[in-house]
Amino acid sequence: MRKKAKTTVQTFENTNWINLRNDKMIYDKQTAIQRNALTKSLRFFFEKEKFLEVETPIMVKIPGMEPHLNIFETDLIIRSKKIKLFLNHSPELQMKKLLGANFGNIFTITKTFRNGEIGGNLHNPEFTMLEWYRINADYKDLMKDCEKLVKKLAGKNEIIYQNKKISLKTPWEKFSCEELFQKYCKISLDQNRTFKQLKKIAEEKNFDTNFCKDWDDIFFKIFLNHIEPHLGKETPTFVYDYPSTQAALAKKSSKNPFFAERFELYIGGIEIANAYSELTDAKEQKTRLIEEQKLRKKLKKTIFDIDGEFLASLESIQQSCAGIALGVDRLFMILMDKKNIEETLLFPLNKILN
Amino acid sequence: MSMTTDIKKGLAINFKNGTWLVVEAQFVNPGKGGAFTRAKIRNLKSNQVIEYTFKAGESVEEAEVNRRRAQYMYNDGATFYFMDNDSYEQFSLPSDIIGNDKRFLIDGIECYAMHIDGVPTSIELPPKMDFKVITTTPGIKGDTATGGSKDATIETGATIKVPLFIKEGEIIKINTEDGSYVSKAN
Repeated sequence: MRKKAKTTVQTFENTNWINLRNDKMIYDKQTAIQRNALTKSLRFFFEKEKFLEVETPIMVKIPGMEPHLNIFETDLIIRSKKIKLFLNHSPELQMKKLLGANFGNIFTITKTFRNGEIGGNLHNPEFTMLEWYRINADYKDLMKDCEKLVKKLAGKNEIIYQNKKISLKTPWEKFSCEELFQKYCKISLDQNRTFKQLKKIAEEKNFDTNFCKDWDDIFFKIFLNHIEPHLGKETPTFVYDYPSTQAALAKKSSKNPFFAERFELYIGGIEIANAYSELTDAKEQKTRLIEEQKLRKKLKKTIFDIDGEFLASLESIQQSCAGIALGVDRLFMILMDKKNIEETLLFPLNKILN
Repeated sequence: MSMTTDIKKGLAINFKNGTWLVVEAQFVNPGKGGAFTRAKIRNLKSNQVIEYTFKAGESVEEAEVNRRRAQYMYNDGATFYFMDNDSYEQFSLPSDIIGNDKRFLIDGIECYAMHIDGVPTSIELPPKMDFKVITTTPGIKGDTATGGSKDATIETGATIKVPLFIKEGEIIKINTEDGSYVSKAN
């Protein structure tokens, strides 16, 4: 057995939690103790990897432009003057501003907010996000980070989630979006790049494209019904190289610019993390933000300004870098074998629906 | 026939040549994509349960299903017998259709029977039901080694987890879907 690093911090992996799971109680103190141990372990991990922890704001003037997200709004009132503020849905823009200021490797653990995301097992409108950014790195380096981090937290080579064994033996399986569509649907995304083409081939193969208004809608309807259920079942799975339309802040793949260097991590069928090789070309980033702004308008969502400070920061990022957002509540669910995100939170908002 | 865009729990829909009951509907937001609704639907004839993800705002055809109040009477292991509350007619359903709901059935308990074309095809329990605790160990104050919960056997014979302060003879509210403790009944 490997010797554990000497530390006075009680870490997640050395806490005795085996007999404590599956107890669904109101204000479950044992789960809170485990959660606390997890947070400490996350900090300990990144400290050892020489990352600097930074704090990012909850309220921001300009949130990220993600076209489909609904954002909470509030007003800052100064005497009679009102300034609109938004609850951050991701600390991404702030993190990249710090990269531009030459902070090096950084991480943050913060609350993020998404309006309307409630109901079911996996969502709470406010949730805890862990983001980390590595310099002189690309998304493949972040895959290695994920493997190392989850294995360390689990403290063993195998976990059981909802009665199913998941082997954590590395390397974990990796599939590109193109491979997955070929494998499960016999459809090539690369050869069907327009809405018309993709709709035609999907319908020929009897896939349901009802109510799909654009290329991405068809992608997701097929992905959610016919691909996602297969992911991350026996081992964690990285799905990588997403269509560029779904990765506005990521660097395009040098091999095929129809795809971007983005991955998502699935464990036990649950989406845990989303990562990019970061786009640092400010000019291209501006063009993409304008596109997304237009899309938000089309989808009748609140329109945000383009963050000039963010674009300026990109210009001063010297090295290649990669960043990742990981849902801490969901990670905790998996490690603790909890079915519902509610069980990981002391004050889940879902409760107000009952 | 009517159309609805609101796929929610309890809704009966016509889909893929069958009549299905939505047993679970949850919001899904695939990274960087639009909103979808992932539904768990149960075929009202075969009892087969599948998952399907609809685009949010997608119209589905609502099925004509009658939800009629019924009373559970008894079972002989393979078949469960009920009585319609209005017509007093008896009907039966095979055990595998009742499925996991068995653990909450006790003589005389009220539930709903789902009728398609006038034929009862399945039952539905109220989402929360009250049951008496028959046996449980006395809770020890400050005992956190068990995570603040203990086993209790309710009047149907089912065993569920309850907080330490629950005593024998008390009436508690249970979520019939996942069998979890909700609260003390008032």
